[in-house]
Formats: sequence, C-alpha cells, structure tokens
Amino acid sequence: MSAPYVPVLFMLALGFGFAALSVFTSLVVGPKRYNRAKLEAYECGIQPTPQAAGGGRVPIKYYLTAMLFIVFDIESVFLYPFAVAFNKLGLFALVEMVLFILTVFVAYAYVWRRGGLDWD
Amino acid sequence: MSEMSSVPWLTLLMVIPLVGSAVVAFLPGSAEQAKRIALGFSLVTLVLGVVAATQYKSGGTAQFQLAEQHAWIPQFGVSYALGVDGIALVLILMSLVLTPVCLLAAWHDVPEDIDGARRTKAYFALLLVLETFMVGVFAATDVFLFYVFFEAMLIPVYFLIGRFGGARRQYAAMKFLLFSLAGGLIMLVAVIALYLQGPGGADGFLIAKLTGLSLDPTTERLLWVGFFIAFAIKAPMVPVHTWLPDAATESTPATATLLVGVLDKVGTFGMIRFCLQLFPNASEWATPLVVVLAVISVLYGALLAIGQTDMMRLIAYTSISHFGFIVLGIFAVTNVAGAGASLYMLNHGFSTAALFLIAAMFIRRRGSKRIPDFGGWQRVTPGIAGAFLIAGLSTLALPGLSSFVSEFLVLVGTFGAHPVAAVLSCTAIILAALYILLWYKRVMTGPKPEGLTGVRDWSLREKWVAAPLIAFFIVIGLYPKPALDVINPAVDKTLSYVHTNAATVAEGSTK
Amino acid sequence: MTAVAPAAFQQANIDYLAVLPLLIVFGAALVGVLVEAFVPRERRHTIQLTISVASLVLAFVAILFATKHQGLTFGYTDGATSRRLFALAIDGPALFMQGALVLMGVLGILIMAERFGGVGSDAFTASGASTPGSPIEAASARAGLITSEVFPLTLFAIGGMMLFPTVNDLIGMFIALEVLSLPLYILSGLARRRRLLSQEASLKYFLLGAFSSAFFLFGTALLYGYAGSVYFGDLSKAVSDTSLGLNGLLVAGAFLVFVGLLFKVGAVPFHAWTPDVYQGAPTPVTGFMAACTKAAAFGAILRLAYVGLDTASWQWQNAVIIVAVLTMIVGAVLSVTQTDMKRLLAYSSIAHAGFVLVGVLAFDQRGVSSVLFYVVAYGFSIIAAFGLVTLVRQDGGEATHLSQWAGLGKSHPVIAGTMAFLMLAFAGIPLTSGFVAKFAVFAAAIGTGGATGTVLVVIGAVCSAITVFVYARVIVLMFFSEPADDTVEVLVPSVGTTFAIAIGTLITFALGVVPSSLLDLADRASQFVR
Repeated sequence: MSAPYVPVLFMLALGFGFAALSVFTSLVVGPKRYNRAKLEAYECGIQPTPQAAGGGRVPIKYYLTAMLFIVFDIESVFLYPFAVAFNKLGLFALVEMVLFILTVFVAYAYVWRRGGLDWD
Repeated sequence: MSEMSSVPWLTLLMVIPLVGSAVVAFLPGSAEQAKRIALGFSLVTLVLGVVAATQYKSGGTAQFQLAEQHAWIPQFGVSYALGVDGIALVLILMSLVLTPVCLLAAWHDVPEDIDGARRTKAYFALLLVLETFMVGVFAATDVFLFYVFFEAMLIPVYFLIGRFGGARRQYAAMKFLLFSLAGGLIMLVAVIALYLQGPGGADGFLIAKLTGLSLDPTTERLLWVGFFIAFAIKAPMVPVHTWLPDAATESTPATATLLVGVLDKVGTFGMIRFCLQLFPNASEWATPLVVVLAVISVLYGALLAIGQTDMMRLIAYTSISHFGFIVLGIFAVTNVAGAGASLYMLNHGFSTAALFLIAAMFIRRRGSKRIPDFGGWQRVTPGIAGAFLIAGLSTLALPGLSSFVSEFLVLVGTFGAHPVAAVLSCTAIILAALYILLWYKRVMTGPKPEGLTGVRDWSLREKWVAAPLIAFFIVIGLYPKPALDVINPAVDKTLSYVHTNAATVAEGSTK
Repeated sequence: MTAVAPAAFQQANIDYLAVLPLLIVFGAALVGVLVEAFVPRERRHTIQLTISVASLVLAFVAILFATKHQGLTFGYTDGATSRRLFALAIDGPALFMQGALVLMGVLGILIMAERFGGVGSDAFTASGASTPGSPIEAASARAGLITSEVFPLTLFAIGGMMLFPTVNDLIGMFIALEVLSLPLYILSGLARRRRLLSQEASLKYFLLGAFSSAFFLFGTALLYGYAGSVYFGDLSKAVSDTSLGLNGLLVAGAFLVFVGLLFKVGAVPFHAWTPDVYQGAPTPVTGFMAACTKAAAFGAILRLAYVGLDTASWQWQNAVIIVAVLTMIVGAVLSVTQTDMKRLLAYSSIAHAGFVLVGVLAFDQRGVSSVLFYVVAYGFSIIAAFGLVTLVRQDGGEATHLSQWAGLGKSHPVIAGTMAFLMLAFAGIPLTSGFVAKFAVFAAAIGTGGATGTVLVVIGAVCSAITVFVYARVIVLMFFSEPADDTVEVLVPSVGTTFAIAIGTLITFALGVVPSSLLDLADRASQFVR
C-alpha cells in the first residue's frame, strides 16, 4: 500500500543502525580515561569557568560566524535542487540562480567591507 | 423643491468672513488694525446679507430659495447644497447682525500683554470663522453638509472658550466639547442610517430627497432619537443642559453671546428642519416626552436663574428656560406655536445678546461677575443701567417689546394642543419677572457705591453695541409683521409635511 | 501504488512590468547595501537619501504603469486541473496599497533623514551594537560613525510591505511578513537617545513578532492540511466545496493566520507590543511603522478575508468582530490615561485599527474601498504627527511627556497649531481626512453589515467620543495652559522634514475637504483579482 515509503523506512533504519553501531564500537574499543571535564553534564572537552572570558559577556563573534554560516548554508540548500534539475530548467533558471547568488554576494561584500569577517 | 439662485449669495456670506479671518490672522499689523479689519469684514457680510434677503421672495412655492447645489462627495451621496427658507433666513440675518455687534463689544476682551497683538488677532479671526460656520449650518440643505458645519462649528468655540475664557476655562471648554461631540457622534450614526433609508445616489443626502420617506416605525423612531439627542444637547434641554452654565460663565461675553444666542439655536432649528420634517410620525410619537422635558426646562431654568449670584450663570439659566419655550412651541405642531417658536429664536438671540453684552459693560467696570458686589449702579452708569433695564424687560416679555409677541404666540398655539403644559409654562412669566427685576434691583438700585470715582458711563463704542439691539426690541415688539411674514410660510410648509404624513397614516389605518 | 513522478517543470509566467515597482525598491535596497560597503562614510548619508527617495519616486511611476498590467502573475495555470497557481496578484487593492506605501515611505524617509546639522540622522545611534553608556559608544560617536544602514533597511521594509497585500498565497504572505518585519525589529533598536528603552522595544517587538509569525505559520500548515494547497484560490474553492470535512483544521487554521496578521495592525488582544515599541523606537521609525505597517497589514487582511477565506467568513467573522470591538474599546479607554505623547499616539493607533476593522467586516466592495481610504488618510496624518514629535526637545532629547507640551501654542503657534489640527483629524472632526475616513468605514458597515454592523458602528461612535477627550486634552495643554518649563524648545527642521510634515498635514486637510477623487480611486481599486 505504501510502497513509496519503504525506501524511507529502510533509510531510517540504516541511520539508527549506524548511530547505534558507532556508539557501541567506541564503547568497546575506545580507551577509558576519565577526568573532571569528561564527567560534566555538558561535555565539550573543556572545563567550564564560572564566568566567560571578558567579564561575563559572550563575544558576539560566534553569533556573527554562525549567522554567516546559515546564510551560505541556505544558499547551498537552494543550489542543490537546482543542480539536480539543471538540465530541465533551462536558461531561465540559470539566470534566476545567478541573480540569487549575486544578491547573497551583496550581503557578503557588506560583511567583508564592514569588518564582519575580522576575528579581532 | 428649491429655487436656484444665479448669484451664490449664501456661499458669499460664508466666504467673506472666512477671508476676513485669514486676513486678520496672517496679515502683520497692530491689534487695533486687526480689530478694525475684522469689524469691516463683518459689516460687509451684513450688508451683503441684507441685499441677499431682498432677493428672497416671501411666499414662493419652493421650500428653499437662494439655492445652490454642487456635487461634493458623490461617493457618499453628498452635495454642497445651500438654500434658505424663512426660518433659516431670519436666523442667518440674526447671526450677521450679532457678529459685528459682538466684535464691537469684544474690543477690549483680550488684554494687551506681551504677545497681545497675536492673541487679539487669533480671537477676532476665530469669531469670524465662527460666523462662516453659523451661516453654513443654517443654510445647509444637505444633511451631511449640515452635520459637517454642526461639528466643525465646535472647534472655534472650543478655542474661544479655552483660550480666552475665565479661570475654569479648560474645564468649561472640555465639557462643552465632550457634550456636543457625544451628541454629534450619535447623530452621525443616524445620519448614515438615514441615507441608507433614502433613495441613495449621488445626491441622496439632500433634504428634499429624504423628506416624506415611508420609514418603518421602529427605524424612524431610532433615527429620530439619534437626531433629537444631539439637538437637545445643543439647545440645552434638561437633563443635558449642564454644560451651558459652565461654558457661558467661563467664556468672554462675545463668545457667550454667539454661543447661546446663535449656536444653541442650531438645536431648535434642527428640531424643526430634521426632527419634524424628516420624521413626522416619530415626532408625533415622542411629543408627550418632549413636551414634558420642555416644561421642565422652562420652570427649572427660571427657578435656578432666580438663585444665581453669578450674572453670566444667571443669563445661562434664563436661556435654558427660554429654550424650553421654543421647544414647546415647535412640538406643539400648530402653525401659531411654530411661528411663535421661530420668532422666539430670533428674539431670544437679541435679548440674550443684550443681557450678556450690557451686563459685561458693568462687569468690566466693577471687575466682578457676582451680583452681591454691586449696588446703586444706576447712579454710576445711568446710560448702561437704562439699556440694561430695556434688555431685561424684553427678556421677561413685556408687552411692546419683541419677546412678548413670540412668547404669546407660543403659549396661545400650545394651549390648544397641550393645555396643561401651556398653563404650567405661563407661571414662568412670573418667574422671569422675578429673576430680572430682582437682579436689576440688587445691581442698580440702592445708595451710590464708594470708591468708584474713575468709572464713567458708556463710551461711544458701547452705545453702538447696545443701539442695534434695543432698536430691534422696539421695532419687532411694535411691528412684528415683516418678520412673521417671512417666517409664517416656512412654518406652514414644514408643518404641512407633518400633517400630510399624519393624514396618510390615518387614511391607511382606516382602510 | 507506484511513486508519482514529479510534474514536469513549468516555467512561471512573469509580467515584469507588473512587478517592476517591487523590483525597483528591492534593487535600490541592494544598491544601498553596496553603498554602505564601498562609499566613504561622510558621503553615505546624502547618497543613501538620494537613492531611497529616487527609487521610491521611480517605483511610484512604475506603479502607474503597472495599472495597465493587472492580473495574476508569477506562476502558471495547471494544464490538467486548470488551477491557477500564481504567487502574486497585481490588482486594484494591491496597486493602491503599493502606491500609498511608496508615497508614505518617501515622507517617512525624509523625516528619518533629519540631521539637525549633525553628520548622520539625528534620531539614530552612531553604533547600534555598542552598550548604552559605554566607552565604545562614546568613541563611535566621537569618531563620527553613522548608521546610514537605516535607509536600505527601510527600503527592504517598504518592499516587504508592498509585497504583503500583493501576494496570492499563504507562503508568499509569510515571506512578505518576515521581509517587512525583520528590518523593523532592527530599526526599532537604533534610537540615539534613551537607548535602553529602544533596545528593550526592539527585543520585545522581535520576540512577540517571532511568536506571531509562528502562529501564522502554524495556521498556514493547518490550512494546507485542510485544502491541500496554499493558494488563496484553492483555499476559497476548497471551502465552498462542502464535501470536504475537517472543519476543525479550517477554523483553527483561519484563526491562527488571522492572529499573525492582527498582531501587525496592533489589534487587541495582540496589541501589547504597540505602546512599548512605539515609545522606544526612534520617533521617525515609529511614524513610519504606524503609517506603513498598518496599511500593508490591512491590505493583507483584506486579501485574506476577501479572496482566501471569503467563503468561510461565517467561520471566523464572529471572532474578528469581537477583536474589533475589543480593539476600539481598549485603544480608546487606555489612551485616556496616557501621559507620554508617543504612547498616546500608540493607543490611538490601536483604536484606529479597530475602526478600520469595522470597515473590513463590511464584506463588500465599499468595505474594501473604505479601508483603503482610511489607511491612507490615517497614514499621512500619523507620519506628520510623529514628525512634529521629533521637533519638540528638552535638553537635546525629545520632549515626549505631555506636560512638556504645555503652553506650546504660545511659544510655537505654528507647530502647536499643526499638531492641534492633526489631533482634530484623529478625533474625526469634519473638514479633516479623519472624519471622511471614519464616515466611509461606518457607512460601509451600516450599509452591508446589517444589525451587527450597526452595533459595531454605535460602539465605534462611543469610542470616538472617548478618544475626543484624549485629543482635546492635548489641545488644552498646548493652547489653554501656561508653559510649565521654559527649557522646552522646538528645533528648526530641515527642508525634507518640513516638506514631509507639510505634505502630511495638507493631505489631511485636502482629504477632509475634497475627498472625492481619492474616494473615487479607492472605489475603482476595490476589486480583487482571483
């Protein structure tokens, strides 16, 4: 009845299986050296300080980077389906895509010129 | 139904004061010069008004003469339509006479302080704007246009009270505005609904198109109520009169005169023009209530007037009493009472103006409005005292002076329809004698007051303020025929709408 | 059942002339961003102002041409089912709104550009990212930094607003909503003075705005679940096709979508942000938002109510009637207690939104034209009013407390007189645009709304009477009171601001005295294309 969904289910199972297998494998073969940082509830390999560097403020640079990442991420999200169906879509879609990329580049130019890409 | 005029008389009567106000407000120059220009414009308007009146043919078949009509907002069915019947004509003429009189009386109303010139200019400009709206509101023959003037008129008065009035002017101005606008907004709903009941179209707001509609009784009554509340607030009737004593007391004499003498007439004028003409059946339905309210107004106003110590307040209460008479005459729906009520509107305008403006003369001299502060003034200012006595006697309707004629006609006309109301109202004649004569006695008689050495009797300017008013009392009191000749056909015409309608209803019910 | 192959790609039909106004505005915004990137700082303000005003004027000309290209565009007609899948509807209401938005946008931008002799716009902070009161802030002000980004941001917002009443499907509407909202969130936080208040306003607006967007999106999902399409045409058809069940989806979806839109017009109970944001945002931005956001959102509400969910109106109209009544009452009553000019105007704008909703609920062509007229009349008045608020100063900052306006009529009669006139317009006094606008919506509501319409109008009239008190109080303060404080001054505006305020006031007057040409235009523009 739901033939089109069988591959999806298969894919799901494969995904879960891979995740479970990885965790299990590292559990078995990995070395076990516990320290304080590793026992933290939120484990990222660094022992957290009571206050973040710079007087309790989280530097905004991280957010800027993350936002920029999202922008280009979205761009590639659009590029993928376009690339897949490029042949069928023809010149019209190519022009549209170029316009789209140009628009993103305008933002990119702004960020670059106004120092958004400088870390310090 | 209306007779078009080749010359736009009524528009001219509105434009000239408006131009005058712009000139006064924006032209550089001294305060004195501005006052003269303002007076000049109002006199030109008066002359033009008289010329226009000569074009009016008493006894024509059309309801409205000197008519003009242009499309204004066709999407809403609104026309710029003006025209006058006899009632509107005399009221317009009254406004045109009272405006220069008030301007003259207002000569020293605004103290000459640092920005005196600017304030004076604003004051006189606002009075002229008011004249434009006064002409407009009586001349409008389109319901929407009437409403526009009816509301817009509030704004100059609001500023006149609030900027130039007495100590509690803010309170009085706000109260005046809120009462009037509350009534106006209720009327707005009725105005919109009325159009939808009519034939509609691009000129569907014309009174002519809305007269004689066969309305569903409930709808007609609701519409009548919407209009009547606005007019009752305007005309001040008990129980929605409370704004008037405050507004009259706190405003300058000239403002008070135009407010009580002319603006409040819009209420009673509206009752004739709209309540009676457009909703005859509902008017008949509501007559008992209105008559009761009118009689209460007559007696309540007169009784309260006796007890007042503030002169301006006293005049305000006498006006409430007189407005009761006018409403009584209107809702008696007889030709005699109707003519009496219409003439009463005219007379009341002049006698109130005389009371306010002449009282203001000795108020200015004494620096107080309180009656106990006076006494023996007929020895100080015999001329003003004499004029005041005539004004007072006219107010209490002494035979031979103008108000007698109208009060008599109202009572005679009402007696046939509502004898009890007429008898009760007659007692107000005695009360009127009390409040006027007591007032006169307290202020004018007695020993000559001390310490008033520098006070002089009236100036030439003040004589000119009083002269036209007193002349009017005597002329109309002895020979009211010309005024009645103009008014009577208009009253007959209006009442014919009521009677035809009543007749058709009666016919329908017998079938 | 085998997998359905995706339909062959079908190229969208685009009438470029019909969408040219949108392209111009968005294109100019992009150019503005490039100007920010490459032009030296000291020349940015002038160039940005020129680009913004020029592009808006150009867009207006393009709108005039687009009137010859009305119809659905940006999509295609499905051959098999003959469904018309078009993303944009260039029709009378859309073009009318676009034209109004562009013109009001010009005035808004002129007031934003006011410099009072400084390097950058007076109303905007030198660097928005610095902490208020910090050394960085002082240093950036000393260095002559300016936030001329406000111009491209405003253009993006105007573009989104123009799109808002034009879109013909729910997804497009959502995108327009976001495009117009995001720049406004930023603009709200850029005030030069009282920056904490401004940042609070920005954050509040953003959080509540995001929340309402989520409502809108959820409603869109439910409506898609109901109709199987996001296009308004399909939606309307699905509702009239009674064989479809699942009314729960329809009602819930319609409610949620309306919540998202009513939030933007500040209707009660979705109004909580309005006073705070109007007060905290830079005053020129407040004026711009009050005029343009409201207009655009009402355009969108009209399209949704008259094209998308018209056949289901009995499902949602009672809810909107309640919202309209609440909006009028709450806006009118709460405005009475306000002591801050900007908050007062904010509550007044809420009350006005209620009056416009009365027109929306008329459900016929006169309702559409009355709403179109109302938002234009109100928009020009409110821009001028907020423009005047920017001029009245004490100690350099804006004197927004009502007591600071006392006696202004004596010291600055022209400014106070103009403000008083605008107040009378908000109060709906005849011979101002406010009266004609109110008359238009009330007449439409009584004419076609039946008993409900009449009740709504009576409530509206009562609320008008209440708001009259508020406006009259401002006039009392300005003209009938003595000045409380001599240090209140009125700055002399530049040509641009003077022009904007004068035009706003003149239009307020002209639409009150000779409204018939705009009414006529609104009448002719009141037909939606489907």
